[in-house]
Amino acid sequence: MKNLFKILPLAGLLILQSCATIVSGSRQTIRFNSMPAAATVYINEVEIGKTPVEKDLKRNQEYKVAIKMDGYKPYSATLSKKFNEWYIGNIVFGGIIGLVVDPITGAMYKLSPDEVTARLANDNSDVVFKSNRDDVHICVSLNIDPEWEKVGQLERAE
Amino acid sequence: MERLVVLLIIVVAGCSPKIKSNLTNAQPALSANDEVAFLDLKHEVPQKVVKIGSLKFQDSGFSTDCSFNSILNKARLEARKNGANIVKVVEKKEPDLWSSCYRLNIDLYKFEGSVSSLPQYKLTLD
Repeated sequence: MKNLFKILPLAGLLILQSCATIVSGSRQTIRFNSMPAAATVYINEVEIGKTPVEKDLKRNQEYKVAIKMDGYKPYSATLSKKFNEWYIGNIVFGGIIGLVVDPITGAMYKLSPDEVTARLANDNSDVVFKSNRDDVHICVSLNIDPEWEKVGQLERAE
Repeated sequence: MERLVVLLIIVVAGCSPKIKSNLTNAQPALSANDEVAFLDLKHEVPQKVVKIGSLKFQDSGFSTDCSFNSILNKARLEARKNGANIVKVVEKKEPDLWSSCYRLNIDLYKFEGSVSSLPQYKLTLD
């Protein structure tokens, strides 16, 4: 029993090395949604699909996001890397290995949308950013482009 | 505590690769909508281009954001800023025992005409 009390803290210390990498992982899931749906999502000018769509992105990079649809104003934002609080776990538990490993894997960061810039630049008044624990959900209500003229309306056949 | 702060600053600030630029013939900047072509080692530079300058991406020693695609993305930003629409890789060192980074020498060119028809490397997400 005495040994158990000695081993447990040591085991805990070893397990908690690289705190952020273990807890958060080196990638983060970003979900995109839009109103109307089926808008095309581009990350760093690479097309990743049509909304709703999600992508696991490496945490150690910054990304330019664009959501485009014909007839609507495009939406763009920057996903910035912010400090991941789990990195502090290395300091609290004295994990020297984690101090090195977490920056290498990128786990010391978390991706976060630059909300203010996005709103000012694009006049999209209905942009919702939701962070659910670690994942980020970006939902955009695209505004109609005034340069487009409505010439007709398709009607459902009887 | 001071050492910890210094370590954090080094880790946070030093994650990007070191960029050396030699831009001898900068042109008016391109917009974000202007297409930029990536030419890898095997792709040839078309005729009638204007050389804008060159970029050298090196490992700063603390670089972690230095994959091939990430560096090309950074090069594209520099290219647009200086009016170039072709990013040509002229020398490529892959990650090895000494560095976990790609180290690239890149030339920037301005091509009059559409670059979308050129044989080129397609950028992907890591």
